[in-house]
Amino acid sequence: MSESKKISRRAFLKAATAAGIGGITLGFPMTELAAQQKEKATAQAKPKKKVLGVDVIKIGGQGVTSGAHADYGWQILAGSTLAIEEINAKGGVLGSKLEMKFMDEELKPAVAVKNARYLATDWGAHLLFGVDSSGSAMAVGPILPELDRVCMFVHASTHRLTEELVAGKGIKQIFRISVPVYQESILASHIFKEFPNIKRWAGIHCDYEYGYSTWALFKDTLKKYRPDVEFVSIAWAPFWTMDFSPHIAAVMAANPDAIHATPWAGEGVMLLRQALMLGVFDKIQAWFQCMGGSVDLLEGISREVEGGKFKDKLWATARYIHNYPDTPENKKFVADFRKRWNRLPNYSAETAYSTIYVFKAAVEKTRSLKTDDLIKAIEGMEIMTPGGKRLFRPEDHQAVYDVPGGKIVKDPNYPIPIIGDLKVIPAKTYYRYPPFTPIAIGK
Amino acid sequence: MKKLALLLLVVLLGLLPLFVGKYTLYMTIHIMLLSLFSLGFNLLLGYTGLLSFGQAGFFAVGAYACAKILMAAPSLLLGILGGVAVAGVISLLLGLLSIRHTRIYFSMLTLCFGMMIFSLAWKWRDMTGGDDGLVGIPRAPLEVPGLFSINMTPMENYYYVVLVFTILAVYLFYRIVHSPLGLTLQGIRDSETRAACVGISVRNYRLISFTIAGLYAGLAGALLPPLESTVTPPVAHWSHSAEPVLATLLGGIYTFAGPIVGAALFYILKDIIVRFTEYWLICLGVIVVVLVLGFRGGVVSMFYGKGGQR
Repeated sequence: MSESKKISRRAFLKAATAAGIGGITLGFPMTELAAQQKEKATAQAKPKKKVLGVDVIKIGGQGVTSGAHADYGWQILAGSTLAIEEINAKGGVLGSKLEMKFMDEELKPAVAVKNARYLATDWGAHLLFGVDSSGSAMAVGPILPELDRVCMFVHASTHRLTEELVAGKGIKQIFRISVPVYQESILASHIFKEFPNIKRWAGIHCDYEYGYSTWALFKDTLKKYRPDVEFVSIAWAPFWTMDFSPHIAAVMAANPDAIHATPWAGEGVMLLRQALMLGVFDKIQAWFQCMGGSVDLLEGISREVEGGKFKDKLWATARYIHNYPDTPENKKFVADFRKRWNRLPNYSAETAYSTIYVFKAAVEKTRSLKTDDLIKAIEGMEIMTPGGKRLFRPEDHQAVYDVPGGKIVKDPNYPIPIIGDLKVIPAKTYYRYPPFTPIAIGK
Repeated sequence: MKKLALLLLVVLLGLLPLFVGKYTLYMTIHIMLLSLFSLGFNLLLGYTGLLSFGQAGFFAVGAYACAKILMAAPSLLLGILGGVAVAGVISLLLGLLSIRHTRIYFSMLTLCFGMMIFSLAWKWRDMTGGDDGLVGIPRAPLEVPGLFSINMTPMENYYYVVLVFTILAVYLFYRIVHSPLGLTLQGIRDSETRAACVGISVRNYRLISFTIAGLYAGLAGALLPPLESTVTPPVAHWSHSAEPVLATLLGGIYTFAGPIVGAALFYILKDIIVRFTEYWLICLGVIVVVLVLGFRGGVVSMFYGKGGQR
């Protein structure tokens, strides 16, 4: 045993000596070559000095990644990751790579504020984006001047964010790439003003900013077009509501013709299933599920739609729909997203994806990471995105683009239901414009 | 030696803004707030022997009152003192009802009152902003009309305000627990009957302890809105009441510095873990279990001999 060890040691020494000699003879030219290459590379790299002065552009994101609404955060993360991977594969932005850190906002304004502070002041984010909850957005918005960062809101939809904070208070660091509650309230009014038999509306709404602003705007607009319409009942459901039967029973007691509802994500699925169990769709003429065009909701009610249980009465919209618009940009985005994540993108994925490209365009235009320069670059920017051509209007930093509403139907070309029977109304005709008249928001 | 260490700590905290970034300052402010919150809580638990699960209610009263004052009249001092005063009045009123019982009954009563305050914050939308809370609260300047006015926009300036309030409150707390009042409270904790027999009005002393704890919770709460510029109902939730319980258990119930050390430990652990995983609660839970099992008298007790020094 020891003999073999000795031999092996000797053999090893021999081999090491041989290798050493070989290395010395071969190694010098190799090191010289490496040094030459290094020199060459440095010489080549010198003129390519980073335009922005940083190796990486840091982008801090946040969305809800826990609880019944967690799919939204996941979709924001998936959409932005896809865009960052695409951009980095092509060399980044002006030679700097993109890097992202994503945090859970937990749908709590205090957490969203803490995240924004951490991302901007500790992690060193140059740009911020995200935020699902309207309440969180209204809390993050006012601290952006102190943080001196641009934040692109990709989902939170209260009209007050852009109307009050940007147009009213002049907080220029706020931008929103997704359509606000104009979509589920004003667009819905435009669709349903054409239904003379629907006169009695009821609402089942979120017991927070989103629900209040949607319901107020919906009532305000529909009443202008249809003075004969009545709003007969309203039920408020807080976050984390699991059992909607009291809410459904309360509004059905008023015998409405149609229901306008905001609970979203997993809560929207539970609400619709419970409404089916209580036979609501036998009694009403239409149900407008505000963000029903979201992928997680469509996946959740897929079987019921296939079975025709909603009796062709379920309407919805979203802030982007995967089957609209019929453009090469959208087809490519949907195909790439499906290839990367094996799912269809919902609107928060598209808005997050487009946000990264807006940041890219802004940085390339201004060749700077300074907040003031970036604000100027994004104000008035027109950019082609999967959701269509977007214009960031300078008055309130709100992106203007078209998203239709329609009925939730089954389409053989897609694994999950889509929004069909599309009612396309140009965004310019239903967006609100400054000077904004405040809408009375109350219970 | 002890005084020197304390002086060193104060100097270190005073110089902190020169060495660290904004986020560390922000976290240090949060640690100071939780320290104040936990100190007050420990006057009830560690010194008087009453476990309250409703302290977040008083924290929220302080926070909402300060926020409302700041939104109406932008003066930092007015907001903070107003918040503390309102929290003190509410804790005195609820204390009158709560201290009639002890042990689990007291805990349940405080839990109920705390959750009543939470429900008010959540449902009284016109007053509290409901689930969305109050937003856009200004960090008003620290001013005494005719004397001085200091701009509070830079985080460093507000840090010093919180630091001064914390040092004063901790010093005052030290004096309280080492005064005849503090000793009486400990006497009540150790034997209620014996204390009553020597002529101590147990109820009155408990009420004083409860009110002081409410004032400290109110102070911690009132210092929050200028920092966050927002107040939301979760600050009143019973799960927020669990924070001082955890911090105190971590640091040590029967030591003066226990709640302060526990607050720092709790925040640092939470902040580090939350950066790496969204399942931070599970990790924190495991660490707390290990610490509580490993250091039964709290982390601070490690530095003292057997039996613990108070």
